Amino acid sequence: MSEKNASITPEQLKHRLDSGQPIFILDVRNEDEFGQWRIEGENVQIINIPYFEFLEDPDQSIGRVPRDRLIAVVCAKGGSSDYVADLLRQQGFQAENLAGGMIAWGNAHQAVEVSIAESDQPGVVFYQINRFGKGCLSYLIGSDGEAIVVDPSRHVDVYTELAEKHGLRIKHVFDTHLHADHISGGKQLAELTKATYHLSASDALGASFPYEPLRDGQEFNVGSVTVRVLVLETPGHTPGSTTLVIQSRFLLTGDTLFVNSTGRPDLGGMAEPWARNLYHTLFSKLAQFQDDVWILPAHYSSQDEVREDGLVVARLAELRKSNVAMHSRDEEEFVKFILAHLSDQPAIYQDIRRANLGLIQVDEDRLIEMELGKNQCAANIRPRKPLTVKTW
Amino acid sequence: MSEVKFDKVLDARGLSCPMPIVKARQDINALEAGQVLKVLSTDRGSIKDFQGWAQAAKNVKLLAQETELEGSKEIYVHYVQKTA
Repeated sequence: MSEKNASITPEQLKHRLDSGQPIFILDVRNEDEFGQWRIEGENVQIINIPYFEFLEDPDQSIGRVPRDRLIAVVCAKGGSSDYVADLLRQQGFQAENLAGGMIAWGNAHQAVEVSIAESDQPGVVFYQINRFGKGCLSYLIGSDGEAIVVDPSRHVDVYTELAEKHGLRIKHVFDTHLHADHISGGKQLAELTKATYHLSASDALGASFPYEPLRDGQEFNVGSVTVRVLVLETPGHTPGSTTLVIQSRFLLTGDTLFVNSTGRPDLGGMAEPWARNLYHTLFSKLAQFQDDVWILPAHYSSQDEVREDGLVVARLAELRKSNVAMHSRDEEEFVKFILAHLSDQPAIYQDIRRANLGLIQVDEDRLIEMELGKNQCAANIRPRKPLTVKTW
Repeated sequence: MSEVKFDKVLDARGLSCPMPIVKARQDINALEAGQVLKVLSTDRGSIKDFQGWAQAAKNVKLLAQETELEGSKEIYVHYVQKTA
């Protein structure tokens, strides 16, 4: 057997996860951190043994780790896991360290081609960029040397590199809404590329920087009319939540509608009125669209929202059938259902919104800290077991 | 500033996980039972980690923890006692 590398990158680990092979993870953070957020996957087996237990009771700790397979050792930043992986290798285990730890995991991005765009739009470049540690999705769409970016993360080089690779100049950057779960790279990316930064005025209330207000019905062309972007106001998750309609075929719904849920309407402390807005958005505004349009959201929270090809996408028809939020018969039923399925809002969301409005300046360490963890943007409606529609 | 008496100082400032605890363990081993080690760390994770370590360790008791400001930088101070 060839000499194993001492460490792997998040991208390499993700690739292994995607390939379906069984993965064994030893997470050496303390129990609190492990409880908050950890690497998940269908074929992932994971145990948590804090690293200091390897110091205090090495026999007991090592005894819990399997010898017969490759172990990926994970910690917050990659230091303790490196130490433990080394210790295990000395004992004859096959152990690798996840370089950069959970922080690197949370910062890693994977660009997936939206292949369904190919067939009748040759020459169009369409990517879904998946920040898989957090479940955040953003988009780069281009043609004829021009591109738009939607909901970029603060890791703007991901987008500039992708654009450069395809010979595209970024002309417009959009945030579908004011984000609470991650720091937006929208303004920064626009400044870097001399693009225009667009955000809805109602979500941008109080922003300390200039931006182009998004308005219902606005149209943008990307690359000499090959890609048409129509702006659709879809309030509910936030007052200014916006959906971008691409070529009348793809709805970039932001956090309004996910593959198996809707955006939670409670993040502004006005859960009930915003839930009503969401109802109207879903059942009136979006009702005009045919079953065959594709929904491309800004987040996902579980593997069952991801297709075999790695894309998080579904036809409106599938959502109408399987997304429980789309089954409501009337506004009261919908509002009651959504309000009954909300989890606590993470305290940090308040600060993230303020950072996204430019109201607070934050250093890199604090940015990293603010963004730790998976997104909690959705209403908690995904049933754990099959839900009989008739019960409500 | 606390009034905890200590017998030795471990300056682990600038060291990342796992070094503060690895070194604390080494230093505790060299102390006598009842003696106290004062550890300085700039690693924010050390707060929870020292709590967890003291619970996992059979002869270490966490007496106190505090955060001090050195200019704009936070220093995390842990007082650990060797119990046996």
